[in-house]
Amino acid sequence: MQFSESWLRSFCNPSMTTDELAHALTMAGLEVEEVTPAAPPFTGIVVGEILTREKHPNADRLSVCTVNVGVEAAAPLQIVCGAPNARVGIRIPVALVGAALPPGEDGKPFMIKQAKMRSVESNGMLCSARELGISESHEGLLELATDAPIGANIREYLSLNDSKFLIKLTPNKADCLSVYGVARETHAITGAPLAPEPTGTVKATLTEVLPVKVLAPDLCGRFAGRVIRGVNAKASTPAWMRERLEKSGQRSITALVDISNYVMLEAGRPTHVFDLDKVHGSLEVRWGKKGESLKLLNGNTVELDEKVGVISDARAVESLAGIMGGDSTAVSLDTTNVYVEAAFWHPLAIQGRARRFNFSTDAGHRFERGVDWETIPAHLDRISALILEICGGEAGPIDDQIINVPSRKPVTMRIARAQKVIGVPVAADEMASIFTRLGLKHTLIRRSADEGGENSFIVTPPSYRFDIEIEEDLIEEIARIYGFDNIPALPPVARAAMRAQPEGTRSLHELRAAIAACDYFETINYSFVDKAWEHELLGNADPINLLNPIASQMAVMRSSLIPGLLANVQYNVSHKADRVRVFELGKVFKRDASVTDGPLAVAGITQPLKLAGVAFGGAVAEQWSSQKRIADFYDVKADLAAVLPEGARFVAAEHPLLHPGRSAKIELNHAPIGWIGELHPKHLSRFELSSAPIVFEVDVAPLQQRPLTVHTPVSKQPLVRRDIALVVANSVNSDVLVDSLLNGAPAFVRSVDVFDVYRGAALPEGKKSVAIRVLMQDTERTLADTEIEGACQQMLIKAQEQHGAKLRA
Amino acid sequence: MNKPAPQRASPIGFSGETSQSADIDAVFELSACNSLPQLDAAKAKYIGKNGIITLAMKGLSELAIENRKTHGIELNRQRDSVEKTYAARRQVLEHIKQYDSLAAEAIDVTLPGRGRGQGGIHPVMKTWQRVEEIFASIGFDVADGPEIEADWFNFTALNNPPNHPARSMQDTFYVDMNGTDGLPLLLRTHTSPMQVRYARMHAADVMAQGKPIKVIAPGRTYRVDSDATHSPMFHQVEGLWIAEDISFADLKGVYTDFLRRFFETNELQVRFRPSYFPFTEPSAEIDMKFESGPLKGKWLEISGSGQVHPSVVKNFGLDPEKYIGFAFGSGLERLTMLRYGIGDLRLFFEGDLRFLKQFA
Repeated sequence: MQFSESWLRSFCNPSMTTDELAHALTMAGLEVEEVTPAAPPFTGIVVGEILTREKHPNADRLSVCTVNVGVEAAAPLQIVCGAPNARVGIRIPVALVGAALPPGEDGKPFMIKQAKMRSVESNGMLCSARELGISESHEGLLELATDAPIGANIREYLSLNDSKFLIKLTPNKADCLSVYGVARETHAITGAPLAPEPTGTVKATLTEVLPVKVLAPDLCGRFAGRVIRGVNAKASTPAWMRERLEKSGQRSITALVDISNYVMLEAGRPTHVFDLDKVHGSLEVRWGKKGESLKLLNGNTVELDEKVGVISDARAVESLAGIMGGDSTAVSLDTTNVYVEAAFWHPLAIQGRARRFNFSTDAGHRFERGVDWETIPAHLDRISALILEICGGEAGPIDDQIINVPSRKPVTMRIARAQKVIGVPVAADEMASIFTRLGLKHTLIRRSADEGGENSFIVTPPSYRFDIEIEEDLIEEIARIYGFDNIPALPPVARAAMRAQPEGTRSLHELRAAIAACDYFETINYSFVDKAWEHELLGNADPINLLNPIASQMAVMRSSLIPGLLANVQYNVSHKADRVRVFELGKVFKRDASVTDGPLAVAGITQPLKLAGVAFGGAVAEQWSSQKRIADFYDVKADLAAVLPEGARFVAAEHPLLHPGRSAKIELNHAPIGWIGELHPKHLSRFELSSAPIVFEVDVAPLQQRPLTVHTPVSKQPLVRRDIALVVANSVNSDVLVDSLLNGAPAFVRSVDVFDVYRGAALPEGKKSVAIRVLMQDTERTLADTEIEGACQQMLIKAQEQHGAKLRA
Repeated sequence: MNKPAPQRASPIGFSGETSQSADIDAVFELSACNSLPQLDAAKAKYIGKNGIITLAMKGLSELAIENRKTHGIELNRQRDSVEKTYAARRQVLEHIKQYDSLAAEAIDVTLPGRGRGQGGIHPVMKTWQRVEEIFASIGFDVADGPEIEADWFNFTALNNPPNHPARSMQDTFYVDMNGTDGLPLLLRTHTSPMQVRYARMHAADVMAQGKPIKVIAPGRTYRVDSDATHSPMFHQVEGLWIAEDISFADLKGVYTDFLRRFFETNELQVRFRPSYFPFTEPSAEIDMKFESGPLKGKWLEISGSGQVHPSVVKNFGLDPEKYIGFAFGSGLERLTMLRYGIGDLRLFFEGDLRFLKQFA
């Protein structure tokens, strides 16, 4: 909502500076986003009239004018001018010698000096609107009204010492979508007197009435209109109206359109002016029908149905109710007879309609929030009076049908409740005064303790307020006008209760810190990704699609964090990084019919948290004392140890993203919880990588589990170590081998670990030697040699039986 | 190498007189030794098998009986003195020897340390964690929930029914799936659905045990918007405190305190300005202003807030007559940018290590 300060002050003029007024509005909920001067600073420009115009003797495009500037000069001034519209008789802004024009890009004013232009003397400059900085229009000289007072200061004549207010209105403030509405609010905030709303008196000299049938009471609650014949549509819009429109960001179009816009800005009343001669028969107000269409004023044609309201005549639909008029009955410069309509459209019947057709209009914006129905006749008189005054003509009577207007139910506000919600004991008489200033009719009901003891206000909201239905709506009004600044910031008084993070649950922050400590940097990637990533990298044929993505490479919801991390690697490599290690902790999204609606679940979709990482480049950053080595599977597996729970297993398995021989599924209690592996070489080129990074992705939930430690006493008995080297087939995985050694071993066997793996010439083809360290210790007594040897023997036999292992000679 | 000390007179002259200076000579000579062999040789010269003092002791028997005792005592003192000097000098020389051998093993302590480096946490996540910690200090729980959300939780339950003009305040991403209510599922436009989800999970405790609902819900949110100041994905933190008597003044108190703790300055102006959100009433935008630093003197929008609307309290499963309280929602990116002086929102989502490493 944009308007000029002077227009607002013509209705309510508090003794405040511009900045104070803007601040007061902002602090009452009408956020003033911008205050801009109506014109940039300039001096020395007055109204002048061109008396003569001759062609410049030495330049085709220039003319030499004599200009009357009244008392500002003893005689008419000779001024050279290049504007095509310079002609005798027009009144225009004249910058006198010594004038300072608005600053250019260098910030310095442009000074007007006496000059010779192509050897003809020029004593000033005739100005366009753009040169004055009041419009972008550069269509030549700014032509002023023919009665503009010659010699008058242009700043005063055009009210340029004014400011434009741009207010960001919240959707509840329907009553402030007009200058008068903002004035009402200004009155409530400041207490400055409020002028009565402008109206008009129209004498109906015609009797003609255009018949209107309202067939949809849930669409239209009140419909009023009148015929005006004999208007001059070519009449020019008066300067004062044009100025106010322009300062409100509305370009002047034609008188009839301008008048309609003016009343909308002044009173918040959208109206529609039909060219009566293009209306066939009578009007009907009804819901649209499937198959109907309408060419709108803006040239677009929309397809209609039962959900949009229309006004039609005997032949066709002529208007989109409450939103925009139709092209065929629009007024033009040739219009002589009009029908002016003002109606009450139910907000629910308008809401969302314009958005459906992908546009918005000032009228629709207002009607979907609610426009006063009571002032329809008064506003119709106002617009009619303006039309008669500016365009002439004769008016018929107002035909006003009240079909189904809302009722304003009284709302009760308990004083104690208001005080409790706000947290401040605002006094009852202060509340009463706030209601009075807001124009809210109220009565104070006092009840003694016997009657429940609650004192309340009963408030009946005016028809222009669409935001007062419940007690809280009134509490908000009290708080807002009382002033949020006047409500203290209190440290709350509450029962103190401790709250602690369960020790058995690792927080997400602890997880992040643990993986970051392994030399990974955290990134945050978009949850929507390129469809190709899902299809080609992850083998996900059916990702969840966005219906309205902002770009095609952000069209589907990710089912893995890894592609985004690979893109992070690519980005950093392209910026000269040779080692990139990044991780992300975030949600992924997959269709899953087994998910039902739950406290924290949405049916049909699983959206678990994952932790993923990518390690590209050296195992350690290039440094003086370490051999350069690319990080491999085992480096990253060790990093994962920082976050994986006890008992997690790595099982060789294939994944579309990963090198088939260098990838593993991570399992916990036989359930898969993640993946780790080397990126498949075929994907390297997509991310422009020179070597294969190692990637991992794990479910977060199992990582958060951290069983509470139960202490076991440290044994005082000697620890026995036996090293065994077993020769097995290459295909025997070490964890299986270790498992078979541990299974069924006596309790004093504390641990069995692989400490070396050897493949080489000394061994038969396809075999490897696995060196295993066995630690044995009893809690109570020293182990006998026979026990130790027996245990080793037993393990060897098992390894032999299950894996064909042989003791390495 | 020092020169050996000049040879002095023997301790006992041929006259049989006892010299007072043999040990003094020895002390000089031993103390001047710079190597262990040299020291041993010097020691032998005085108290070795044929040392000056040893020989003198052997010669005692030749002395007159009346002189033997005094001479004997004197020679013993001299021998002890030589031995003590020897021991002391030996210790010094051994120290020097060890030091010299260690000095040869010296390393360049200014070379960088070896091994793996440290990664780092994303600045927005740092903010997330700090916000959690600050609110946890007065007993707030933390919750998170679905990002693909049902229409009801994101809008309708928050008093924002279909077609309401307030829906146009937030441009919503929709996905190609419908919820069980038949309405399209969407990417949550704010963390406010977590108010409803969390409160519904805990409403029974509120009613049975009088426990307040006190929770913050940080998380990802999405809106169809993308430029230097808007990202299609961003983070919010939602706050909710519902009990029997939590007022707007309490909201002002809690949020003002939060901002001062977060920015670690009491010189922070906070203002609450009337606004509108369907799910709160009265509603407030919260602006803050630094008293010093590069952003000094400018009001900066930091949060939306207000007293939870009674219809929303009803949707929590609670009686709005009995339970009131506040909610707020703040942008984590915004807090992070103000905290660390970051000018461009897009930096958070580029994954540029040169940016991320600054926060390690």
